[in-house]
Amino acid sequence: MKITSPSLDSTLTVSVTILIHLRPFTPQKSPKITEILDQLTISPDSMIFLHNEFRNCNQTPFCKRARSRKPGACPLVAIDVSISNGDLVAKLIPKEKSEENTENGENPIKPLVLTISAYQDGIMRLKIDEDQNLSPRKKRFEVPDVIVPDFVNKKLWLQRLKEEENEEGIFSVVYLSDGYEGVIRRDPFEVFVRESGKNGKKVLSLNSNGLFDFEQLRDKKEENEEWEERFRSHTDTRPYGPQSISFDVSFYDADFVYGIPEHATSLALKPTRGPGVEDSEPYRLFNLDVFEYIHDSPFGLYGSIPFMVSHGKSKGSSGFFWLNAAEMQIDVMGPGWNNESVLMLPSDQKRVDTLWMSEAGVVDAFFFIGPGPKDVVRQYTSVTGKSALPQLFATAYHQCRWNYRDEEDVYNVDSKFDEHDIPYDVLWLDIEHTDGKKYFTWDRMLFPNPEEMQNKLAAKGRRMVTIVDPHIKRDESYYIHKEASEKGYYVKDATGKDFDGWCWPGSSSYLDMVNPEIRSWWAEKFSCKNYVGSTPSLYIWNDMNEPSVFNGPEKINFIRLLIMNLILIEILEVMLISARDLSVVTMPRDALHYGDVEHRELHNAYGYYFHMATADGLVKRGDGKDRPFVLSRAFFPGSQRYGAVWTGDNSAEWDHLRVSVPMILTLGLTGISFSGADVGGFFGNPDTELLVRWYQLGAYYPFFRAHAHHDTKRREPWLFGIDLVQERNTELMKEAIHVRYMLLPYFYTLFREANASGIPVARPLWMEFPADEKTFSNDEAFMVGNSLLVQGIFTQRAKHVSVYLPGEQPWYDMKTGTAYEGGATHKLTVLEDSIPAFQRAGTIIPRKDRFRRSSTQMENDPYTLVIALNSSMAAEGELYVDDGKSFEFQQGAFIHRRFTFSNGKLTSSKMGTATGGNNKFASECTVERIILLGLSPAPKNALVKPANQKVDVEWGPLLLRGGKGKSFLTIRKPNVRIADDWTIKLS
Amino acid sequence: MNTIRLHNLLFFGCIFLLIHGITRSATSAPLKDSLLGVSPEDEIYYKGFSSSSAIKCKDGSKKFNKSQLNDDFCDCPDGSDEPGTSACPSGKFYCKNIGHAPVILYSSRVNDGICDCCDGSDEYDGKTKCVNTCWEAGRVAREKLKKKIATYQEGVTIRRQEIEQAKLGIANEEGELLKLKDQEKILKELVEKLKERKEQIEKAEEKERLQKEKEEKERKEAEEPKENEIKAEVSESMQNDNIGTVDQPPQDSAEDHHESANEPELSDHSVEDRLPNDGVEVNEGPVQKTEQLGEESTFDDKTGLDTGNQDDNIAEDTESLSREELGRRVASRWTGEKTEQHEEFDASIDKDHQNPDETPNETNDEENNGYVSEYDDHKYDDDDSEDQVDDFGGEDHYDSSSSQTPESDDESDLSDITGTSGSWLEKIQKTVKSIFQAVNLFQTPVNITEAAHVRKEYDESSAKLSKIQSRISSLRQKLKQDFGPEKEFYSFYGQCFESKQNKYVYKVCPFKEASQVEGYSTTRLGSWEKFEDSYRIMQFLNGDKCWNGPDRSIKVKLRCGLKNELTDVDEPSRCEYLALLSTPALCLDSRLKELQDKLESLNKDQPGGHDEL
Repeated sequence: MKITSPSLDSTLTVSVTILIHLRPFTPQKSPKITEILDQLTISPDSMIFLHNEFRNCNQTPFCKRARSRKPGACPLVAIDVSISNGDLVAKLIPKEKSEENTENGENPIKPLVLTISAYQDGIMRLKIDEDQNLSPRKKRFEVPDVIVPDFVNKKLWLQRLKEEENEEGIFSVVYLSDGYEGVIRRDPFEVFVRESGKNGKKVLSLNSNGLFDFEQLRDKKEENEEWEERFRSHTDTRPYGPQSISFDVSFYDADFVYGIPEHATSLALKPTRGPGVEDSEPYRLFNLDVFEYIHDSPFGLYGSIPFMVSHGKSKGSSGFFWLNAAEMQIDVMGPGWNNESVLMLPSDQKRVDTLWMSEAGVVDAFFFIGPGPKDVVRQYTSVTGKSALPQLFATAYHQCRWNYRDEEDVYNVDSKFDEHDIPYDVLWLDIEHTDGKKYFTWDRMLFPNPEEMQNKLAAKGRRMVTIVDPHIKRDESYYIHKEASEKGYYVKDATGKDFDGWCWPGSSSYLDMVNPEIRSWWAEKFSCKNYVGSTPSLYIWNDMNEPSVFNGPEKINFIRLLIMNLILIEILEVMLISARDLSVVTMPRDALHYGDVEHRELHNAYGYYFHMATADGLVKRGDGKDRPFVLSRAFFPGSQRYGAVWTGDNSAEWDHLRVSVPMILTLGLTGISFSGADVGGFFGNPDTELLVRWYQLGAYYPFFRAHAHHDTKRREPWLFGIDLVQERNTELMKEAIHVRYMLLPYFYTLFREANASGIPVARPLWMEFPADEKTFSNDEAFMVGNSLLVQGIFTQRAKHVSVYLPGEQPWYDMKTGTAYEGGATHKLTVLEDSIPAFQRAGTIIPRKDRFRRSSTQMENDPYTLVIALNSSMAAEGELYVDDGKSFEFQQGAFIHRRFTFSNGKLTSSKMGTATGGNNKFASECTVERIILLGLSPAPKNALVKPANQKVDVEWGPLLLRGGKGKSFLTIRKPNVRIADDWTIKLS
Repeated sequence: MNTIRLHNLLFFGCIFLLIHGITRSATSAPLKDSLLGVSPEDEIYYKGFSSSSAIKCKDGSKKFNKSQLNDDFCDCPDGSDEPGTSACPSGKFYCKNIGHAPVILYSSRVNDGICDCCDGSDEYDGKTKCVNTCWEAGRVAREKLKKKIATYQEGVTIRRQEIEQAKLGIANEEGELLKLKDQEKILKELVEKLKERKEQIEKAEEKERLQKEKEEKERKEAEEPKENEIKAEVSESMQNDNIGTVDQPPQDSAEDHHESANEPELSDHSVEDRLPNDGVEVNEGPVQKTEQLGEESTFDDKTGLDTGNQDDNIAEDTESLSREELGRRVASRWTGEKTEQHEEFDASIDKDHQNPDETPNETNDEENNGYVSEYDDHKYDDDDSEDQVDDFGGEDHYDSSSSQTPESDDESDLSDITGTSGSWLEKIQKTVKSIFQAVNLFQTPVNITEAAHVRKEYDESSAKLSKIQSRISSLRQKLKQDFGPEKEFYSFYGQCFESKQNKYVYKVCPFKEASQVEGYSTTRLGSWEKFEDSYRIMQFLNGDKCWNGPDRSIKVKLRCGLKNELTDVDEPSRCEYLALLSTPALCLDSRLKELQDKLESLNKDQPGGHDEL
């Protein structure tokens, strides 16, 4: 564990002086300010993110209670198990009826209602809630608009209930899918999925350890300590009392569990409890604006996806998803956590136990049976939706900085890219472009002609992105605020007034995006008419949508405040009053949303709804013809449908470069394909080597954006080209960006795959090699699609790197074409000019080798196909092409080709689905070059059919730039159109 | 080489015109012209095809035949087979842009749907139509160029004048430095002697005072045995002690002293003795202080080395001389008598100078100068301030307006030293002579008038000395600066350039520092570091620290202009500033020539046929 910046403390002191300096005319305030600042500076760790600063499990009553419960503590049994309306239903009641009244006094445990449903493709859904017929105090919150509407249609109508009995009790069994069954044991109550048959192996189970607990809503009878909750003297009124839910989930035959972003941790989740785990926190899911997060911490970051995937050598994968938007804490138990392992028989199934705890909501859980990793992801995304297909430009390189200050700066950066022949597609404007942090406005001093600016960039095929955050400046002259407050569109505080928190603009309120009406109103704001100064080539960035509130209850985000340029004494005055009262970087839990939903119940989904509303706004703006692009920091299950996310405010450190890989892989695994980390690291100044390495790795992130903090040195790629030595660094960054542009056709094809199947663009190795144990905990390397393996370089001046190449087929170095044996670890010399990347034998990768200013100009450029042959001299690959921007592809306006090579013949055929490529989309693009890796013996000629035309086969380079390596067989200018069926026969 | 515009490629323009016929029709099928995109310089390379069917790629990696030239497939990694297409990522495309300047493009611009060449020749695939705008663009460019040339022409003249003046100025200052060094030497001796004399007087006075005190005490003890009065007495004497070691005759109470000694020299003296460093703290920046000390000490060392051997012998000689003799010799040094004794004298003074005990004193004197300088300035201002400053008016102006800069003292001091140096030296020297002759040291009681006289002379002379020394140091400081290859930046020394941008005033003082002023608060943007990029950038580093950022720094880009003018201060990266300074110093002849050539070639390039348009 390491403290990110020990110097922060002292710098803060410095800034305090500045602060007081700023306003010499209010000297009477200074002593007070100094006092509070002194208090804040006394503990240096209060200035940076550390666990003990945010609240930990022990400070969170529901977590503490759940964690201290002993296995088998759950008294509930299932009764009245029956089939009703195609579902299995049952009631859960305490085993000993008499216990009710003695233990709970005037709040007796009422029966809970349990429902099990089955869906196509191996999905079981379990719901447990209070019985609405017994009129609970209120309806507990169920997260709306996450499950895709189509999912409902996949429901299987259960008809039959099979009863079984053995020494462990009575079981009710329902059909789930071929080979799998859903089972409920009555006493003690347990729900699980097993392989079909009485002795079928368990796949997933709930409450096998008897840790289930469901705190029912109660009436407040008298003042007691438990009712209200205090954290750092912030009082959470908890008008409904404790209402948490917790239970254990077991994954059978699993070696590891993965998922539940967002944490800066390893890909395979480390145990948080059990022998050898000391002083550990559960993985927390609570969306927070964490300032300078540290890597390798279970602390929750900006987004939450309560979806876990298990994987093991013998069984494969399974998944568990709990649709719940309240704060969640999840323990991964190490073997022997309950001293059970001693008792385990060799015949017992190996398993990973987990404990899930949530502050509120209901049980709405999904069991995914797998059995392959891709199956689990497919199943999960059939519930929460597939990734939206981004516009082509969005898959290219993005240039961002807080802030490109003015139009001149924008033009200068834009022209520098051209001057250095470095492509880029999108230039971003951070908060400073606005008039006083009022979104949808422009600082007209700095940006007098925003339309003209966007149009000038658009003329080069480039887009711009502006930031739009959810905090609305409370300024009567601001139209958004005026309308929102008049219409009552803001989230309310516990007393029913508009919640008023501090964020970039100072005093701000937050739109209640859970309400569809408000989302629709918000979406209208993005029309070119309403968003003055916007053009159709402008897209949006949603930051701070956790939501971030600087003076919220968890912790004063003091640093943020300082960065706001110390906003001045007035704010500190407020802070002074509130510092000891409030506790957060987000909204208080008792704030109220639409439908009297407490913020605690939907906190983790707030950013999701905001993201959704913004994306809908862009769709509306384009009259449904332009795919939206919205980047969000907060996320929730389903966010993949609305745009990209990034891993938030990382730091320019090697550790952050390293952790970006498991973070992105975890996001992909949990449905969010389109993600990336800030290249270069947001905070701090990367040295050139780190920056170069980051570009080299970032070029393979699904979302490739360089970004930098306000206080950092400029780091656009050409700034490292002062002398000859430095010039080299610029070249290297340019080269890395070129790699991305070269691979755009491949990436875009993968984005389409994610859009169709949910399979992410960046994949853990074990997703492609599920039987290869050596890949299970590897999170330094990853697959881009099924054809490319990329290994990051995460240390300074690395000389050698060990790369494990899985599988039985060889791999070809992407740069040199050198073949490496599969299923082996190779110690490779690390080169300065690239990170190791390999094409898997048996695959075909489509490329575009001509470099342009942006992806827009590459539209008509010809393709290169790189065919890496496996030991049977065969290979296959895909290419997906559409107009890159509209929704026409949904009506079949695309070209989707399968390339297969076997028996010395390359065949291009239409991908075989009914919706696939009708003639609505046309392209004149041709293949100009086909490179064959691993072919022997060397052919002389190639015959193109149906044209019946002979083309040359010669020796050529693998890469046109930078590659002084070997020559490879190259089919020269076959000039076949990618839209057509054709074959090329070598002879 | 990242710039795409090459300006000097027009020499072959005429030849090329003959070959080339399709420039204006941007949409015509291009590949008929196999030499599309070839720069005139490269034509000779492609002529290789006239003698053989295949030629080597420029990098020698491969051969390609004529059918592969511009066939939209990259055969040479360096792009030499595809000058006119986008096939090779490292290729370059040449557009002639007749009527304007030719341009070399990255091959990535060819047929990318964007018109990059004003003649439209980069877009020939029929998908994009480009209008030929070369004539219009060329005209604008030529107008601009003409204006620029006009500026340069005038600027070059100003620059020449400045260089002349710089040379003169430097020569003057070098001369002055030599002269001052001589004077320093002489004055040092003098001061030493005066000091010795002063100390003797003080010793005598002290003796007298003690004697008197003793007498007084005895008297009092006899008269007043009462306790009260004893107490009072004690307190009084303590008071005296507090006032310090100032040698007052016993009859002088502290008050008396102040009354009688209205002259600043005396009160200064007392302050100096008590708090030897005060003057430094108040008047001079710490940096300046160390520099001066540094210089001084190296100087000392040198002298020490030079004279070390002789010291002992001569010391004895000197000691054997009577005080009067010494005085006479000192005096004769300037009246031109008995020059043969010169050497001896020098040596003795060197020896004294080396005495480690005296070093702090000496430093002290020098710094004390700052304290009294105001007074001195008034005294000497009228005499001789004009002749020096004519050459660099800016310097004078700047100095007088900024009181806190260390150089200001030095510079204003220089007026009284350099101008009529002979006369003041003579004056001092005569006075000293008269002192040595008149004062009878061993007479008791001390003649008060004479003692005051000695003190005054001592103070004045040492002030003078320190002024000279500080002037020497500042001259050295100045002359060691890099004023550019032709000393064209000489006039920048001591000057500051200001620019107001919104609420900030940016102040750039070459060879010194740069700052940002907002109201009463000043932020240092950096201290002078050096010229960069062949004297086209001035770099200032290590300014005030930025919170959460680097130390501030500023680069000032220089460009030709008719007067020194600071514009466009910017902060492209956090706390890293960039400014533009127009100055005649950058109006280089060679550049003027380049511009003229360029204009000429542009004009020459106007084809007669262009009238059609």
